[in-house]
Amino acid sequence: MGYPHKPHDRETLVLSKHFGDREAITLDGWKKRGGYTALQKALGMEPAEIVNIVKDSGLRGRGGAGFPTGVKWSFMKPGDGKPHYLCCNADESEPGTFKDREIMRWTPHALVEGCAIGAYAIGAETAYIYIRGEFTEPIARMEAALKEAYAAGILGKNAMGSGKTVNVYVHRGAGAYICGEETALMNSIEGRRGNPRIKPPFPAVAGLFAQPTTINNVETLAAVPHILNNGADWYKKFGRPDNPKSTGTKLFSVCGNIARPGNYEVTLGFPFKDFLYDVCGGPLPGRKFRAIIPGGISVPIQTMDEAEASLMDYEGFMAQGTMLGSGGVIVVDDAQNLVKVIARAARFFAHESCAQCTQCREGTAWTTRILERIVAGEGTTEDLDTLLDIADNMTGKTICVLSDSCATPVISGIKKFRADFEALIKKTKAVQVPAVA
Amino acid sequence: MAEAKMISLTIEGRAATVPEGTSILEAAKTVGVLIPHYCYHPGLPVAGVCRMCLVEVEKMPKLAPSCATSVAEGQVVHVHSPKALEARKGVLEMLLINHPLDCPICDQAGECELQDYTYQEGRAEGRLREPKRFNPVEDFGGDVMYVTNRCILCTRCVRFMDDVAHDAVLNVSERGDRALIGKFEGKDLTHPWAGNVIDLCPVGALLSKDSLNKFRSWEVDRSASICPGCSQGCNMTIETRDNMVVRLRPRANEAVNKYFLCDHGRLNYRWMNRQDRVDAPLVRQGATLATADWSAAIAEAAKLLGGQRAFVLASPNLSNEALFLLERVVRKTNGSGAFRVPQGEEAPLPGVKDLARRADQAANGRGAEIMGFARSDAPLAGLKAGDVLVVADEELAGLDASDVAKAGAIIVIGTTLPAWARHAATVVLPINNFTEEEGTFTNLRGRVQRFLQARSGPGFSRPSWFVLSDLLTAMGEPTNHMLASQAFAALAAAHPEFAGMSYDTLGLRGATVKGAEVTA
Amino acid sequence: MGGTDAPADTSHAHHAEPYRPVFVGERRRELDELLTRYPTKQAALLPALWMVQHDRGWVSEDGMAEVAEVLGITPAYVKGVVTFYTMYHQHPVGKHFIQVCTTSPCAVCGAEEVRDAFLRATGCEELGVTSPDGKYTVIEVECLGACGFATPVMINEEFLESVTPDKVPGILSQLK
Repeated sequence: MGYPHKPHDRETLVLSKHFGDREAITLDGWKKRGGYTALQKALGMEPAEIVNIVKDSGLRGRGGAGFPTGVKWSFMKPGDGKPHYLCCNADESEPGTFKDREIMRWTPHALVEGCAIGAYAIGAETAYIYIRGEFTEPIARMEAALKEAYAAGILGKNAMGSGKTVNVYVHRGAGAYICGEETALMNSIEGRRGNPRIKPPFPAVAGLFAQPTTINNVETLAAVPHILNNGADWYKKFGRPDNPKSTGTKLFSVCGNIARPGNYEVTLGFPFKDFLYDVCGGPLPGRKFRAIIPGGISVPIQTMDEAEASLMDYEGFMAQGTMLGSGGVIVVDDAQNLVKVIARAARFFAHESCAQCTQCREGTAWTTRILERIVAGEGTTEDLDTLLDIADNMTGKTICVLSDSCATPVISGIKKFRADFEALIKKTKAVQVPAVA
Repeated sequence: MAEAKMISLTIEGRAATVPEGTSILEAAKTVGVLIPHYCYHPGLPVAGVCRMCLVEVEKMPKLAPSCATSVAEGQVVHVHSPKALEARKGVLEMLLINHPLDCPICDQAGECELQDYTYQEGRAEGRLREPKRFNPVEDFGGDVMYVTNRCILCTRCVRFMDDVAHDAVLNVSERGDRALIGKFEGKDLTHPWAGNVIDLCPVGALLSKDSLNKFRSWEVDRSASICPGCSQGCNMTIETRDNMVVRLRPRANEAVNKYFLCDHGRLNYRWMNRQDRVDAPLVRQGATLATADWSAAIAEAAKLLGGQRAFVLASPNLSNEALFLLERVVRKTNGSGAFRVPQGEEAPLPGVKDLARRADQAANGRGAEIMGFARSDAPLAGLKAGDVLVVADEELAGLDASDVAKAGAIIVIGTTLPAWARHAATVVLPINNFTEEEGTFTNLRGRVQRFLQARSGPGFSRPSWFVLSDLLTAMGEPTNHMLASQAFAALAAAHPEFAGMSYDTLGLRGATVKGAEVTA
Repeated sequence: MGGTDAPADTSHAHHAEPYRPVFVGERRRELDELLTRYPTKQAALLPALWMVQHDRGWVSEDGMAEVAEVLGITPAYVKGVVTFYTMYHQHPVGKHFIQVCTTSPCAVCGAEEVRDAFLRATGCEELGVTSPDGKYTVIEVECLGACGFATPVMINEEFLESVTPDKVPGILSQLK
């Protein structure tokens, strides 16, 4: 299966340069394309130097939260006598997001290299790549790449002849969205239910196996070799000049009702309108865009006015009432029942709630049932007030943000597209459902 | 031990000063503020999952779970602010949407924290319009049944079995609103301490099969007591209904049993309600034991002991007070005394230091030793021909009753009248059992702990210390204790180990005898 | 799923084969190698459960008990973990386990029609029910992480992209 699209002229290919290139998958092919020079270089540097370069580059977490990567790494204190761990978050389960999958399928060695550099920079001898269980092909590719890397002496007790130990292992998930939450992921590696943990303690103090741990997204780690090879200044140049907070390129996954879905790599700050209409080819024939969820299903829904005014970086999306998130752009057109889209999103969260926090365990399911009733034509106007009140109870009150994520499309949906809900409610037969609780 | 740094903060307008690292929830308790909570329990690791204990902390962007948030200098905490109340109201509504609201048939009603907090700050009506989730009741084994529909998934039971009992037989199964407490087929709650999950459960989800449907919580009277089942001395509460003991539950004591009571202790109460009690003083008249009034019976017993050596076979389940007065009978007559301790299997609760159901299955062996009684597996061996044998609350079960034949006379001070005593006793003085009188026990670590009267004794029976005080007076040792506390004061004056102790200083937590601190 | 029904070994004895341990020979060596990657034995729980499912097709209670035994944890603990992760089958499933993503991004691209096409073509008719010939089980799955290639479908370990209802009969005919 070849890579689905030819790069668009307006893309900036760093991470995705070799997508679709079968040869890049192998160690030899990867080396021919400059692979492992960054790791070789890194192993000759002091960990603090690497951390500083990454800090300077402005690289921020690509998993959703956007925390500065170098700063995160600087929380780790190599030489504190404790075992350190690096976790690579390859659980990619945020609906709308499928970029890490492509990195692992096409450039597995880029991730191995990024993990090895990251591990060394934070004083860890062991890195675990936690890959969601459904990603059978990426898992196979990563396992094969690791086997090659061990055989070539790139990993192991004497990584690239440096005398340093760097081990990288794949750990397969088994079907749980919440394991993409960093502490849930650690619990999952430890052989527990994927329950998010209360913070503090933060992972840098007590993370995996209660030891200092750093966790980074696949895309973040895959960017690191490029930064080491080309320098922080090179990386900083990608982005809009008026926003130094968002630097580099970013992979955006595009799905839903759009002419050319797929993964696109653009510089941060790229105009979203151009992205949607030019890079991705605009709406399907005869249709119009109706709403956009630009950062994975957890972020607020945008109206087209908001979307078209957005610049594609952390601050740009924030200014238009939403978030960059994981960069999973979900496009909904005018042929869809938007309430049904939101109901289906709520059902997703109800299915995935770990069941720890009351508001999330009960609220996600309750929200789903009300929304499904509205979709079925049995909703009432009071349901909308109840939904907003439940959503408020689900926001900012739980251990992790799954609960908030379920509330977000409901709140933004009712606020921005209330007419869609009301149109369904008007169809409700005049039968009063008695209260049972 | 290094002095902990103290932190000052304000909670609901009250100034609190607590050691660094204390949670806001615990700090609030010190100034009399109860922050509603479900999953938090001081005897378990913090889970922070029920989200009921959310409070508003000034300068913090979000509400804070007070169980999992440490105090900080200068913090200002609002427990009952509109924002915090609104959040907790939301939690309560969520906890109730799938709850069956079956309080009228629920054993927990009246002592249910879901009920209490809902009355206190919940919504009057729920807004769920859909059918409720349903799951069947499950037998968890041991004394525990699980009413799934009432469960709020606080996970106290799971954490107790994992972290305290070290026997992870419970789990959280499934996820989302399908989640429930689960177990593995064939692996039951058989751990000797498993019954604690019933008390730990803040709602009516985990119930005792033993007490199921027997009473409503508001029908019982509660008294502080000490478990007599072994030498550990776990603090407990006796619950009675219509003068019958119906349930025993642990009473918190950090120094002894934390919050826990073993299953044997909690279920071994039926003997306390025995109906075959001796309820009037008896004096032998020829072949029969005839009912006598107390003054005649005491006079007869004193007469028997006049000029004769007494051999006292005492129960190690008698109070310190009774054993002390028996010791005085021994001394007065130049006699001697012995006791035996039934043996069982030791069953530790591994997550709590020095807490176990002990092999010594009696409450006060340590007290008996201090009062000079000799511990022996053949306690009648010291009985000499012609001695007046005083059998104090010992049924001689398992001993050869014919051994008593060499006694010159036999005085039975007891709660029952075993077959051998019917034939052999000269005088029978009926006493109360420990639920019917006041007193103290000394546990294996030398901790002296009070138990209070929980019910009244049958017929003419009297407290053991009262009977023995009368007997001593009749023997020419004016004692005249009118209160158990007076008997204890006399004991404290006579035994240096108890010096300085009184019922007031012991309170309901107890104190350790002198010289025992190092062995603890 | 009651815990108080008749014990499993008697109620199901007439059709249950005796349990064959998974962790013997090569599998045991594989597990031992895996254990060197982690500082705790428990960390090998997910991988060990994958091995059981791979070898037996599902994770039975006996399988959970064996995993518990080899990793030094309790069967109840293992069960709590198994029931958390949706990919472990707690019941036998059809020879071809078909998972159709119907989460919002795929739903707007017609995933529900793909799901219905599988239900019809396999004869399963109902989600989660194995077809009468034992060949197929179809379920809806939450987001397979290939939203741009709607509708993604997983059949056992194989991942298919851009499935449309008209492709379904062809896909099924190629399954062995």
